[in-house]
Amino acid sequence: MSATVTEKQRVIFENVSKFYGEVLGVNRVSLSIPPGITGLVGPNGSGKTTLMNLMVGLLRPSRGRISVLGMDSQRPEEFFRHVGYSTQYDAFPPGLNGSQFIRSYLRVHGFGAAEAEAMTWKALERVGLTEAAGRKVAGYSKGMRQRVKLAQAICHQPSVLVLDEPLNGLDPMARAEVISLFRELADGGLHVIVSSHILHEVDLISDQVVLIHGGYVVAEGDIANVRDEMEEEHPAQVSIRCDRPALLASRVFAQDSVMEARIDDDGKGVLVRTRDADRFHLLLNQVVLENGLTIEAVAPADADVNAVYQYLIGSNGEKS
Amino acid sequence: MAVYDRNFGIYQGERTPTWSRFLIIPRYAYQEVFQSRLFVAFLGFCFLVPFAGLLVIYLHHNLAALSFINLPLDRLQEALPINAKFFRWGLEFQGFLCYVLALLVGPALISPDLRNNGLPLYLSRPFSRAEYVLGKTAVLAILMSAITWIPGLLLFFFQSYLDGASWMGNNLSIAFAIFFGSWIWIAVLSLLSLAVSAWVKWKPVARISLLILYYVPWGFAKVMNATQDTWWGFLVALWPTMTTVWTRLFGLPLEPGDYNGNPMPLAAAWLALVACCLISLALLSRRIRAYEVVR
Repeated sequence: MSATVTEKQRVIFENVSKFYGEVLGVNRVSLSIPPGITGLVGPNGSGKTTLMNLMVGLLRPSRGRISVLGMDSQRPEEFFRHVGYSTQYDAFPPGLNGSQFIRSYLRVHGFGAAEAEAMTWKALERVGLTEAAGRKVAGYSKGMRQRVKLAQAICHQPSVLVLDEPLNGLDPMARAEVISLFRELADGGLHVIVSSHILHEVDLISDQVVLIHGGYVVAEGDIANVRDEMEEEHPAQVSIRCDRPALLASRVFAQDSVMEARIDDDGKGVLVRTRDADRFHLLLNQVVLENGLTIEAVAPADADVNAVYQYLIGSNGEKS
Repeated sequence: MAVYDRNFGIYQGERTPTWSRFLIIPRYAYQEVFQSRLFVAFLGFCFLVPFAGLLVIYLHHNLAALSFINLPLDRLQEALPINAKFFRWGLEFQGFLCYVLALLVGPALISPDLRNNGLPLYLSRPFSRAEYVLGKTAVLAILMSAITWIPGLLLFFFQSYLDGASWMGNNLSIAFAIFFGSWIWIAVLSLLSLAVSAWVKWKPVARISLLILYYVPWGFAKVMNATQDTWWGFLVALWPTMTTVWTRLFGLPLEPGDYNGNPMPLAAAWLALVACCLISLALLSRRIRAYEVVR
């Protein structure tokens, strides 16, 4: 059966379950991941790595179907040409230097000596490791190891890049460079799927997120949309910094959709909890205009991955 | 949804044939193996016996070169017969060196990949578990070939060259025995040492395990055969089993003295070797996986 146009552009999981004997890996996962950066978030043991292993064809699902750009791992030659994977573990054959490490895997991919050589240097250049290419990988720092792992994942120019904890161990400068590389790759049309524990970074880099807990996907999509869907259970919080917070609080609190209006401890702002953020923003415009308030900042206080994570999974990984 | 402009290009050029990709593993593994001076010295030593064989064959056909020794030349020729027994002895000696080679190289082949969870690096490419095992086997098989059947056949052809086509025609079974006999031993040793490497992560312990697997069943077999007046004990001992097969491949009779008067039947020896390979493969199959389940 030929893949549909949508299938050819997306990573699709259809009711996928994976059990390791009696141990649950992931259960009934249905996803449709578009190009761009997708953050995979969940506590330890939630099934993130299983999901990634399924995505890159290292595992076969116990149930369900997986399609990566319309392909599956039954045709490895074609499938693995399009998929690049970087595991969370430092796994380096002993004795190899940076360029040999990349070149060896390109040769495994089936690239000839000349192509492998050229692609090796291109990948090393992209991750900023050309100067260290002749050094043994065993002597690399943690950050350099992360970058050389990233280089082996991108060296064969895949369309789908799956990266397990790629930011671990990177210093702030390297982190910024790697994030910028992700953005560049995603803007080029790649699917960049990144798992991370560092929520504010996931929030910063991701176009969409997949939240996973206990083997189940608990939320998926653009983080703002996910947050909107939770408004009933977890009213949106909006922080407003202004010159007369007491007046603003009294005016907005009169509205039905506003559940709470609390003046900040420093007396220079209000935190509002509302079940209808859109209506609240219209109301805010009206109050500001009517009362001539000076607004310094209006920002959602809990519309990030961190807040969604806390609401859905809880700080200790307990689903609330 | 955002509109993404695909500006990356998938490589569309030619690829190397799938069957040849397993050879990438030995190519890079040798960089590590040959860094050990001990190993290089050992490998040099492995060529001493083939070289001595070459000398013996040459002298066998050029006795005049030994004229400075005051011995009758016909007795010298009798003392240096070039026959199946000569080649079998050579294979046996080199076979033991293969075992030492497996001890030196084998334990470090798979355990580092498993210890570091490195298998996904291979298996997330168009490279199967079977190809991975084949590649790791090739690391040992190529080295073992270099010290067994390759010099063995070179000596055979040298002898054929010096003795003439008729000798070659009459002794083709020797060439077959060298080639086939070497490969059986290479397969058994490679798979066994890979299986040990896959299950024992620490190199010294893996080496000790290989020593135990080689010598302890042999000792046990000797005791059992002596006390029970049987050959059954040898079923678990690699070396007597292999030498039984070699002896028969070279068309030589089994010497009862070696087996307490009870030579092992050839079929039993074959079965034991095949069982060893199958058990090793099963052990490898259980360990060579792209993921690890933490229970």
